[in-house]
Amino acid sequence: MEKTQIVLTVNGKDYDLLIAPNRTLAQALREELELTGTKQGCEVGDCGSCTVLLDGEPVNSCLVLAVQAQGREITTIEGVADGNKLHPIQEAMVEHGAIQCGFCSPGMILSAKSLLEKNPNPGQDEIRQALSGNLCRCTGYQKIVEAVQDAAGKMGRG
Amino acid sequence: MLLPRFAFHQPASVAEALEVLGQYGDQAAVIAGGTDLLVNMKHKKLAPKHLVGLERIEELEGLAADNGHIRIGPRLTASALAGSGELTGSAAALALGAGTLGSPQVRNRATVGGNVCTARPAADMCLPLLALEAKALLAGPAGARELPLDEFFLGPGQTAREPGELLTGLLIPKPAQGSGAGYEKLGLRKALEIALVNVAAVLTLDGDGKTIKAAKVALGAVAPTPILAPGAEAALVGRAAGEEAFAQAGKAAAADAKPITDHRGSAEFRREMVEVLTRRALRQAWQAAQGQ
Repeated sequence: MEKTQIVLTVNGKDYDLLIAPNRTLAQALREELELTGTKQGCEVGDCGSCTVLLDGEPVNSCLVLAVQAQGREITTIEGVADGNKLHPIQEAMVEHGAIQCGFCSPGMILSAKSLLEKNPNPGQDEIRQALSGNLCRCTGYQKIVEAVQDAAGKMGRG
Repeated sequence: MLLPRFAFHQPASVAEALEVLGQYGDQAAVIAGGTDLLVNMKHKKLAPKHLVGLERIEELEGLAADNGHIRIGPRLTASALAGSGELTGSAAALALGAGTLGSPQVRNRATVGGNVCTARPAADMCLPLLALEAKALLAGPAGARELPLDEFFLGPGQTAREPGELLTGLLIPKPAQGSGAGYEKLGLRKALEIALVNVAAVLTLDGDGKTIKAAKVALGAVAPTPILAPGAEAALVGRAAGEEAFAQAGKAAAADAKPITDHRGSAEFRREMVEVLTRRALRQAWQAAQGQ
């Protein structure tokens, strides 16, 4: 099985990789690029902990081959904050106690970010729908939903 | 979880794709969104030595209305279909079904072509397409052919597509005036779920807005393939739209269903739920048709 040379554009930067076709985007991000904010939970698209944005849309990176992600804009959790300045969604997640173990948080934040960029004023149902592909075993979701609502309000005023 | 090894091909056209598929036969698998194929490969159920990625083939994209039909590109994602403003009237059935598939992340990758070729009995995009009397467009070494979807699905995961063939499109009739669609999905969860039972209903009302001119009801997870419910259809056509007709159609649909008992639920419960979901889907279709 031959490795191929690909270019992955992650958080605005181009990375040259020599990679085998059977490597998933999740593996490439974590193991080749050492961007370990993207998690590998179920690895079959059922938990959302591997969520990244592909051209702004949330996908399960465990089910995207790295070679398929060429030419697309990939956003990981590492690309959400602005240097040391947290994104309003991240700040709200911290303030509302929406992070316990933190394993689901990168995926939750990215799904929420994509939602608020398309729908700046979502209702609770819309937030839950947008996060329906991200499982959390710790929090019971309530605080996460409240954090996203709060962030929506703050982003609207910004 | 590791994927088995394979060579990855990215043909730039349908013709190139057919060449690759022809060269490697049953050693090759087509990959679009990969949300089903890669799961099966990770679970070691499948290990094709060659994957044929469709990313570069533009002619497999797009939604185009022409000649009394809407042509659906197989690479269209569930998200794209769920949000499509062009799927109105009866065609909204496809948007409704697509919107219930998996999760937002899965919908952003899963394609209608993949859903049709994977052909699971409860497939959320297959049911509406069956109710819309869709045709599958196939291209192969022997040329192009068209097949009605009810002849395309042969069994769970089995279709009439030959290994050397590629699904190049789906055709549905242009929605009639006064048509509407409904889709109901029952599962243990509200997302990331394969239906215990699902129902797609399409209704066309007469000029008077009261009589049912045409109807199709498709049932999922109650037979080896998605199926139409001819009994339900017979109980609807020519009748006045409303609770009485829908109740009869529900009973007829339950009789049309051939459910089995499995880890998701019992055959008896599924049969009961076919009746309930059929009524609900018909109500939804009626509402939508009146709005058209």
